[in-house]
Amino acid sequence: MAQKKIHPVKTRNGIPLTREEYRQLKKQKEREDRRKRQEAWEAARGPLDLPFLLLALLLLGVGLIMLLSASFPSAQSNARLGNDALYYFKRQVIFAGLGLFAMFWVSKINYERFRGLARLALIVSFVLLILVVIPGPNKYGRLLALGENGAARWLGIPSTSLTFQPSEVAKMGLIVYFAESISKKREKMKTFREGFLPHVTILLAMFVLTLIEPHFSGALLIFGIGAAMLVVGGIHWGWVAAGSGAVGVAAYLLFFTEIIDKIFHFLNYNATRLQVWRDPFGGDLAFRRDDAWQTIQSLYAIGSGGLLGVGLGKSRQKFGYLPESQNDYIFAIVMEELGLVGGTLIMMLFSLLIIRGFWLAIHARDRFGSLLIVGVTTQIALQTFLNIAVVTNFMPSTGISLPFFSSGGTALAIQLVEIGIVLSVSRQIPAPKAR
Amino acid sequence: MTKKNPQPAKPAKTSNSARLAKLVIQRRTLALLLLFGVASFLALFARAYDLTIRQHDQLQDDASIQQTRSTVISASRGSILDRNGVTLAVSASADTVFLDPNAISKYADELDKKRAQKLVDGLKDGEKLPMSGQEYKDLLAARLSEILDIEPRKVYDEMAKTNWRYAVLSRRVEKEVSDQVREFITDNDTGANLQGVHLEADSKRYYPRSSLASHAIGFLDGDNHGAYGLEALYEEELEGSTGLTVTATDGSGSEIMFQYEQYYDAEDGHSIVTTIDSTIQYYLERGIADMTSQFGAKNGACGIVLDPKTCAILAICSTPDYDLNAPREIYTQKLKDQLASADEENPPEEGREHSDAYRTLLGELQNLQWRNKAVNDGYEPGSTFKTLTLAMAIEEGVANRNSSYYCGGSVTIENEPISCSNKNGHGSQVLREAVGHSCNPAFIRMGLDIGRSTFYDYLEEFGLMAPTGVDLQGEGASVFTSRKEFESHDIDLACYAFGQNFIVTPIQLIAAQAACINGGYLYQPYVVEKELDAEGNVVRQHDSTPIRQVVSEETSALVRECLEYVVSDGGGKNGQVAGYRIGGKTGTADKRGGEETDVIVSFLAFAPADDPQVIMLLTMDTPARQNVTGVFTSGGNYVAPTASRIMADILPYLGIAPQYDEDMLATAEGSVPYVVGMSRDEAVARLESYGFSSYRTVGGGETVTDQTPDGGAIVPTGAEIILYMGEEKSGEQRAVPNVVGMSADEANRALVNAGFIMKATGSSSSGAKVINQSLASGVEAAAGTVVTVQMGTMSNIAD
Repeated sequence: MAQKKIHPVKTRNGIPLTREEYRQLKKQKEREDRRKRQEAWEAARGPLDLPFLLLALLLLGVGLIMLLSASFPSAQSNARLGNDALYYFKRQVIFAGLGLFAMFWVSKINYERFRGLARLALIVSFVLLILVVIPGPNKYGRLLALGENGAARWLGIPSTSLTFQPSEVAKMGLIVYFAESISKKREKMKTFREGFLPHVTILLAMFVLTLIEPHFSGALLIFGIGAAMLVVGGIHWGWVAAGSGAVGVAAYLLFFTEIIDKIFHFLNYNATRLQVWRDPFGGDLAFRRDDAWQTIQSLYAIGSGGLLGVGLGKSRQKFGYLPESQNDYIFAIVMEELGLVGGTLIMMLFSLLIIRGFWLAIHARDRFGSLLIVGVTTQIALQTFLNIAVVTNFMPSTGISLPFFSSGGTALAIQLVEIGIVLSVSRQIPAPKAR
Repeated sequence: MTKKNPQPAKPAKTSNSARLAKLVIQRRTLALLLLFGVASFLALFARAYDLTIRQHDQLQDDASIQQTRSTVISASRGSILDRNGVTLAVSASADTVFLDPNAISKYADELDKKRAQKLVDGLKDGEKLPMSGQEYKDLLAARLSEILDIEPRKVYDEMAKTNWRYAVLSRRVEKEVSDQVREFITDNDTGANLQGVHLEADSKRYYPRSSLASHAIGFLDGDNHGAYGLEALYEEELEGSTGLTVTATDGSGSEIMFQYEQYYDAEDGHSIVTTIDSTIQYYLERGIADMTSQFGAKNGACGIVLDPKTCAILAICSTPDYDLNAPREIYTQKLKDQLASADEENPPEEGREHSDAYRTLLGELQNLQWRNKAVNDGYEPGSTFKTLTLAMAIEEGVANRNSSYYCGGSVTIENEPISCSNKNGHGSQVLREAVGHSCNPAFIRMGLDIGRSTFYDYLEEFGLMAPTGVDLQGEGASVFTSRKEFESHDIDLACYAFGQNFIVTPIQLIAAQAACINGGYLYQPYVVEKELDAEGNVVRQHDSTPIRQVVSEETSALVRECLEYVVSDGGGKNGQVAGYRIGGKTGTADKRGGEETDVIVSFLAFAPADDPQVIMLLTMDTPARQNVTGVFTSGGNYVAPTASRIMADILPYLGIAPQYDEDMLATAEGSVPYVVGMSRDEAVARLESYGFSSYRTVGGGETVTDQTPDGGAIVPTGAEIILYMGEEKSGEQRAVPNVVGMSADEANRALVNAGFIMKATGSSSSGAKVINQSLASGVEAAAGTVVTVQMGTMSNIAD
């Protein structure tokens, strides 16, 4: 028997431990920790919601195919992109791959962990939103912001594809923060001081920051997501009613008067936007050629599609007629090639994804999970609706991309991460009790 | 650790407030589910349905227009030919000169900038200051207006349309003009090619015979589509189909190589061969022009020449006429003067070329000169209609060669006295005499014998109730009283029997008259004989089967006999043509609607009377009255001589040889042989062998050095031929004497004495007098010139 050697430092309840004892103790503790972690991990490891996952993957797949079809003419004719017909597609595939990886990774994280990130996410969101609007000497009159199509909404490394929109990040920050905050407040959400005021303040601050980028569509989405989460979160019906009324008035002013357009005229908003919406084919030649061009071309594309479409890949409008055919107006090309039938099938996929999303929200294990899903699903729903509404000239143009379809790498990756969040929540939905 | 890694597995707190909060979330989420997942997609679907299904056609059409570029491959328009292949209308390529005002304006700005720059930089030695934008425009205006013969102001006006890319300066200019423009574009003072001046290939229609058959042929509009006449009626056949290359293009207008491309071949227009014979048309137009000017027809005249065996229209003419090459310009001098006076009476406003009155009148006169009276306008035919009554009566057996009719000067039908042209009455007359006298009571008798119902049936049978369907534009309609009304009393029948109280168009009437004399067959008159494709293959041929037989061959033969009597011994003597058997019928009819004195005189003629090859109907609307012309106003006096003259031209042309009997030999004609260079004896023998026995010699040479008339001239065989034996032919000009009113012998004497040769045409009746002479009295002409005199009898009896 070897002599007991007393550890000089480690003691247990004042009794010094031998090195052997200490090691055993440490091992035991580590085992316990591992077991606890294991337990926590196991708890978050229910099955992924298969319908939601499949719908998302289906949309992603169809979206990639349609992007290939819609983008190759403009990519091919673009010398800046090296006349590479596959430019947009390859980029999108890369980001889709990264996004899928991120999606599965996120779906494995116990979403309760995001609670701790909520405050940080909000702060980061605000920092980025402020960074992008700081005035400065660059050609967009900003310090850091990068632009495309005349609006400075991007941050990142100039002249690379490594750019992102702070508003995209802000949407996620808003969703996580609101979910965390609202879930804690419970019935206090009904109050003005604790329920309404702080959230609306944050929401309006984000809204205004996005608006002055200028990024009207981003602001609209942020407002819509926030508002939906507040409504679901249980703010007083009075506020819901008042808010709906305010939105109604704003929508009226926006759609049927030119006041808001005039107010934002200094932000380069086109005052003829409403005229285009009301009667794209009216007006003089210059109007039809310049202002209403995109809308007219979109309608031509959709209208030419008819019931069954001109056939996959056979769109004519994508050949230099419909601007942004690979981006905001991709759905017009989808309708042209696949017709009403194909377009409706895709809309049904979106509809099912959204319905499944809200269904998951209803069945989520806790309020935080519900609210996360409501935020993410609302974002997808709003983007889908607004995009298709604009493309069909059901609403005046705003510039909202179609989830899973429109070209835009970071946006796609972020959407997939959000899907991952929903999947993560879905893992913890208790299995229905056996009857 | 726990803080960072909360325990998710803990069962959710089941506190009341938490449960409530969760319930709220669930309920409201459900609401969102319905709103975002269902309602919004229903709205989008409705919108998508609207666009893809309901607006599909419209949007697709509009989209196709922009997505494709069609390059037109033009087809050349077919020609219009007469029945002998003479070209009446033909297309040839021509260039249209147009400006690109937008490019001109941009180029002018560019020039101004360059100039300003040069002014700042200073000029190098020998360098010229570039021209300014305005100078450039001035240059274009000055030169182009000069080349194209237009006002410089028009060039400036077109250049001012700076939003335009296409402003036509001059359409379809001749090649020499377009060559000048081409030269100007490449070779000019600017030292470079001109910017914004372009030529484009186009085609121009030419009508080589200008006004010939203008009413039948018609013309094109500014876009080279048929606007009137055959050009319009046969637009589809003539135009051909333009070919098209449809190419898919992208937004910048370049072709999308791997998208579809379609070709449609151009097919040249077919040519149409008409039944019109330009020579006969020319004779008809010349005759009518002379007639209208001689008698000062107030409302012009018209004429139709048909082949009675098919109703092919050999010639059709209406006056006033117009030049097909410039259909919008007023053609006849009389109308031109009328138009000019409009501006004199109403001076145009400042800065305007013409007054409103001028423009209104111009439109009216254009319509007037385009109007084809022979087809467009109906009239009361009067006595030429008696042909039909005669045919009906014979066919129905109520009249035969020996029928006798008594005329006491007038007859009373249902208390309406109807007088005959001869107030004293024609007395007792057999059928052909009654026709020759154009005796109204006789024809009323025939009408009554035929009976109301049968007579009306015949009107239908003769095709008078409906348009003939002739392929000429704007065929007018006939106007008859209703059958019920017609059958209720006799007075309409009585009037119809001599051609009054109803309205038919000349084309309807002549088709029915042709049926009366051609063996009884009614044909549809037509102008287009066949259609040829670009290679000359016959694509379509007119089918000349008769519509029906209205009267029998025997009836027709008797009608011909009676009508021949009209010309040989009746009221139509002026329609005689020496050597030919002519049938005819005169007509004078009061005109309704116009002034009371308005009258339409007409003459129907056909020849040869035993086997008609040609039938002609001439009408003249309101010639000057007797007090102006000194001639009693009747078809026989006013129109028959012209008909005779035209027939005299047409019949030999058609290869119908004259048959002279002994009486007529005096007026027989022959072609004078060439005898120059022969000895006297040889020349005389030669002349005799050609039927010329009368000659005299001038000079004492051995051989004939010259002759009058020249060899080849067609003169009466009784004419004296002058042979110059070494002596110069006298270039002496002599005054033509007035021979109108003389008998043939007197006239011949007068003319021969004056040194002319007389050629008589028209009536060979014993009482015939000269009614017209080809060279007016007092005109100076070389000795030996042939003066044609028209013989005729001026009766004071209406027909």
